Amino acid sequence: MEVEDLGHHISRRFNEDLERVRNSVLSMGGLVEEQLDRAIKALSDGDSQLGLQVAEDDVKVNRMEVSIDEECSRILATRAPTAGDLRLVIAIIKTITDLERIGDEAEKIGTLSARLASVERPSTNYRELRNLARHVKQMVHGALNAFARLDTKGALEVVKADSAVDEEYESIYRQGITFMMEDPRTITRILDMTWMARSLERIGDHAKNICEYVIFMVHGKDVRHIGIKNIEVEVEQASRRLESRT
Amino acid sequence: MTLPSRWASQIAALAGLLVTALLFGWWFGGAGWWLAGAALLYVGFTLRHLYWLDRALDGHRRVPLFETRGLWAEVFARVEKLRTKARNRKKKYHRLLREVRESTGALADGGIILNADNEIMWFNRAASNLLGLDQSTDLGHRLDNLLRYPDFVEYLKKPTGDGITVGSPRHETGWLHVQIIPYGTDQRLAIIRDVTTEKNVERTRRDFVANASHELRSPLTVISGYLEALGEAGDVPDAWQSPVAEMQRQAERMTRILRDLIELTRLESADAAASRDFVDVVGMLKPLVQEFQGRGGPSVELVLDTDAALLGKESELHSIFYNLVNNAARFTPPSGSVKVVWRAADGGAVFEVIDTGIGIAEEQIPRVTERFYRVDPGRSRAMGGTGLGLAIVKHALQRHEAQLAIASREGKGSTFTCRFPRDRVVFRSDAVSAVL
Repeated sequence: MEVEDLGHHISRRFNEDLERVRNSVLSMGGLVEEQLDRAIKALSDGDSQLGLQVAEDDVKVNRMEVSIDEECSRILATRAPTAGDLRLVIAIIKTITDLERIGDEAEKIGTLSARLASVERPSTNYRELRNLARHVKQMVHGALNAFARLDTKGALEVVKADSAVDEEYESIYRQGITFMMEDPRTITRILDMTWMARSLERIGDHAKNICEYVIFMVHGKDVRHIGIKNIEVEVEQASRRLESRT
Repeated sequence: MTLPSRWASQIAALAGLLVTALLFGWWFGGAGWWLAGAALLYVGFTLRHLYWLDRALDGHRRVPLFETRGLWAEVFARVEKLRTKARNRKKKYHRLLREVRESTGALADGGIILNADNEIMWFNRAASNLLGLDQSTDLGHRLDNLLRYPDFVEYLKKPTGDGITVGSPRHETGWLHVQIIPYGTDQRLAIIRDVTTEKNVERTRRDFVANASHELRSPLTVISGYLEALGEAGDVPDAWQSPVAEMQRQAERMTRILRDLIELTRLESADAAASRDFVDVVGMLKPLVQEFQGRGGPSVELVLDTDAALLGKESELHSIFYNLVNNAARFTPPSGSVKVVWRAADGGAVFEVIDTGIGIAEEQIPRVTERFYRVDPGRSRAMGGTGLGLAIVKHALQRHEAQLAIASREGKGSTFTCRFPRDRVVFRSDAVSAVL
């Protein structure tokens, strides 16, 4: 499917429907990004009120998911889309599930931040967590940009970044174990931190999933569970085909 | 109608040709054939020129001419002149366009042109630097798909006021100010400015005020405590009775000022919008107004025209209502009256305080919400004001998307009107349908 395909339809209404639902996915993405942003801010500023606010605002994300889901069902039922349009609708349905999960993880991070705000802070002020959070935020941002621009190269970059995030999580986890063995009094805090790192790592995975849907949407290739090397090859081939056709 | 000379000469040449053909026909016989031959010759000659005219209009440079003067030479000369003119004009526009592009590109502020669907039509270099847009891929995409902050998306739908400040998508600590200006039929220009420095200065100032107020409060508590003890102790010499009482009053006033300062800084640094808790306005106003009744001040009357509730922050709403009623009560003589009104209007709700007090001069109305601005410094200070009440009201109202209108006539009284928008107001009928 070429990018321009999105813009041409016999039925103008159909076109508008698709475009609108795509836009609302991106606004939902914006909301999720903001939620994540505020959850991290709550952690680094030790702002328990903000953390709880984030947890509370998760309903907004959930509400958007439900409404976009309904809209997609309506399009499937009344327009019976085919080919590229069908892939777009399927990719949207999957994307919003992952976005909603990212929202849930942000909610968890918010709650944990509120809890961590009331205990003693480590001298590093959670530097490792903030680093991990920055990378994860970039991944989510990149995934949504790739979705907006239908940019499979950008999507590929995000997929590649996921392994670095996994490694970072691993090292925070090991570090935590060491700290807990050294000083059992820190166990509660370190466990909370580990949960948070875990949530961040999961967000990275969800961002990666979204990128795989983008590749599916643009090239019609299912690239899940085939390894980064194979994804690269598929994207390379597909985009070359696309170029030769245009 | 007079023909230009080039046409006259052309017709003369044709006539000459035909007459010659006739002469030959008369001399040699077969005049018809001679005439036809001459006409054919002329048609050929014309066609040939038409062919070259066509080529010339296609942009062909060298045109062989049979005539150096006369109609065709003139036509070709004019075509050439037009082409030169067009070429020069094109060059001029090119240069102009390049200059415009270069100057807009050199602007420090980012500029983006959007169409009616918010699709990006054009943007300059600063915009691509500030927002991370890519000239090769992002034209034609919707701006709100690439800049996805919920606040910004809302603003783009309804661009009102003087823009919105959002975090920079490229620098974690950066801030951008975006303003949308509609122009033409349905095009819009987005101006983007880096306001990181302003934001930081603003924050430093706010932090300073907040810290200073907090730091001043603790020593003041100690002073107030001792003054109170002194006032209550019976063995203070008579000469010192009134100074101690005065010190107590001033210490109290200072505590109030600090409390208001802290409240104001908190309002300024909080998120743009207040939370949306259910606040029972009627239940809040009744005891609040009662507090002012029977104080020996003006008569205070509460008029409840609606049972609407608000979605907002309880403490801030209380602070709005209290400050407005308190102001009215202070600036109205005991013989006057204050009317506090809560009513529905234009879908939303209105809180109004109408007094018959001293009023405000018209030129001072816009300034009364500034911090520490006093219409009559001596008077308001004597009445125990902090000078921050209306500033707090203004900020708290902003956080509830409500508007403050002030109408006043000097010596007659003032009316302070707060309009709360529809989506902040809950009517009883809404509440019932929400439950069903």
